[in-house]
This record gives sequence, structure tokens and C-alpha cells, in this order.
Amino acid sequence: MSGTHDDGVHGDGSAQEGPADGRFGEGELEDGLLEEELRQAAAILDPVPAALRAIAVEAHALHDLQARVAELTFDSLVDALPVRGAEDAPRMLTFDADGVTVDVELTADGLIGQVMPPGPARIEMLSGPRRFARLTADDMGRFTGQAPPAGPFALRLRTGGEVVVTEWLRA
Amino acid sequence: MDRAEVGALVQSAADGDAAAWKALVDGLGPLVWSVVRAHGLSDADAHEVYQTAWFRFAQHLGRLREREKAGAWLASTARHECLKVLRAQRRWMPTDDPHLLDRVSEEPTPEESVLDSEEAAAESERVRRLWQEFEELGERCRQLLRVLMASPPPSYQEVSAALGIAVGSIGPTRQRCLRRLRSRLERRGTG
Repeated sequence: MSGTHDDGVHGDGSAQEGPADGRFGEGELEDGLLEEELRQAAAILDPVPAALRAIAVEAHALHDLQARVAELTFDSLVDALPVRGAEDAPRMLTFDADGVTVDVELTADGLIGQVMPPGPARIEMLSGPRRFARLTADDMGRFTGQAPPAGPFALRLRTGGEVVVTEWLRA
Repeated sequence: MDRAEVGALVQSAADGDAAAWKALVDGLGPLVWSVVRAHGLSDADAHEVYQTAWFRFAQHLGRLREREKAGAWLASTARHECLKVLRAQRRWMPTDDPHLLDRVSEEPTPEESVLDSEEAAAESERVRRLWQEFEELGERCRQLLRVLMASPPPSYQEVSAALGIAVGSIGPTRQRCLRRLRSRLERRGTG
């Protein structure tokens, strides 16, 4: 692990920004020392919480060779204009894997969704490496379930002989 | 982290090597945390964004186009999730100042508790003053310095991905911010 900025841009960027009077390098050393002091302060006062580090280590289990990832292609939180006064408007999400689309609508009460092309599917709602709930899509590809738990969630679908997992997302 | 090392670890982790994955978490986790902190999220939001970034990374592990840039990928993913949180807050909350929610956890870390021992009191005081002055810098400086102080130090590519700023602007801004911080410390007589 290198202890310096490793892409070479650091030196170049600084050189261009040397003081106009030509005393290049003045203060560079002090800057580096102060940055290092900040780094130590951050490690003491605001480190990665141990519980989060443990969750990230466990997340290796989420690496799933079998499944295709359905990428988030629409999120009303980002892609839709806010509607004044419509504060409890449902969150609309669309996930796309090649040839399979999953539409999800989230409200405080629960989740409804639709798999396209329409067809039955067995669905697991994942909360980290744990399974939170099992859902079933009917012959039209429609499914309903309880609202996802706090924290990131994903849906893992078995449909027409393939496995698709939606991109991890905070509800 | 060194890029070649990151690339090799990503490859091994994708092949199922848990130790390689752990090394990535330890090498890049502080960067992800710094990105989240730089955006001034509440503790609860910060925790969720941190997890989301790692869950997505695990999910995309075998599909990353540029394995050696995994740090920038994680930083960028964390940034986008942070921006979503801030956007949702602006939408639901009467205030658009996310810093009202920005409180560093009150609970002392083990390291902090060690610092509280008498011998370390002076050093502890210095660290606290440094942190206090850092937190009183303007938003741009706070954001940049918070990301730069990840350990190991991030590359400028990673910083650029973390904050959505041009690589070329990082050096000059860093210099200005560090000097501003130093002069604040000197004014307090602790520099």
C-alpha cells in the first residue's frame, strides 16, 4: 500500500500551482505534514465504525456468479420532478437486465411490482446477506410484499430459468 | 492503495478469495467512509450509504471493467447515494441544510478513550483543536480535506470520483484549504 497519492497527478498539479514568485515548494512539506495530522485525527475521531467494517467484510457473500444484475435505470427520487404537496408519492424504480425488466413501487405500506416480460417468478427480498421475505409473481408477473426493512435491499428473481438480482438500493 | 494491488485483489475476490475481499474493505473502506462523511449525512444515513456502496461493489465484482479503479468506482457510487439522500431530504424537510443533521457520533471510540488517559491529554487536546478548526472551514474545504484524510491516502482519481470535481483542481484547492487551516491554528496558538 503506497503512502502517497499514487497517480502522479499530485506532483504535476502542485508544480503548476507553485507560488508566482518562484519559491516553488515553499510550504509543500508543511502541507503534507498537516494533511497527515488530519489523517491521524480522522482515524481517532471519525473512523469507520467497527460494525460497518464487519458488514462490509460479510458482503463478500453477496457476490453471486449465477445471477445477472438488473441495473437501476429509473429512480423517481432522481429522475422525476418533485411534485409539490405530493410528499407521500410512491417511489418508482425500474431495473433492467438484458431482456428482463422489473418495475417496483414503494410506499410506506409496502411494495408492488411487475416483471416484464410477464410471467411467474419466485422472488426473494434480500436485506444484506439475509433473506427478509419471499414473494411470488403471478402469471402476469405482478407481485406484492411488505415494505423493505431499513438499510439497503435487493430483489432476487427466478424467472424463466434465469436468476436476476436488482442493484442494491436504500429504500 | 496502489492500483496494481487493487486490481489484483479485485480479481482474487471475484474468484472467491475472502482474504482479498477483506484487504479491499480495509484498504478502501476508509475512503468510502470519508466520502460519506464529506457529504455531511446523519449517522443513520451514513451507515446505510456505506453499506449500499459495498453491497453494490460485491454485486459488480466480477463485472468491473477497470478493476484497478475499484477505489474510484466505490467513491463514485458512495457519492451518488449521498446525493440521493440529500435530494430526498430537500424534498421532505423544511430545511435544506443537511448540516443540521450532521453530528459526529457522541460515543467515544476506543482510540478516543485511550486519548482520555492523563498522559495523552495534551496530545488529545491538540487533536481536538485541529478537528474543531477543520470543522469550521467552509464546505468546499471540509469536503475535500475529509476525503483526502482517508487512510491510506486516496489517489486524485479517487478524490475526483468522490466529489465530482476535476482532477486538476484538487492540488490547488488542497493547498489553499490546508493553508487556511494552518493559519486558523496559528491564530489559536496551536499551530
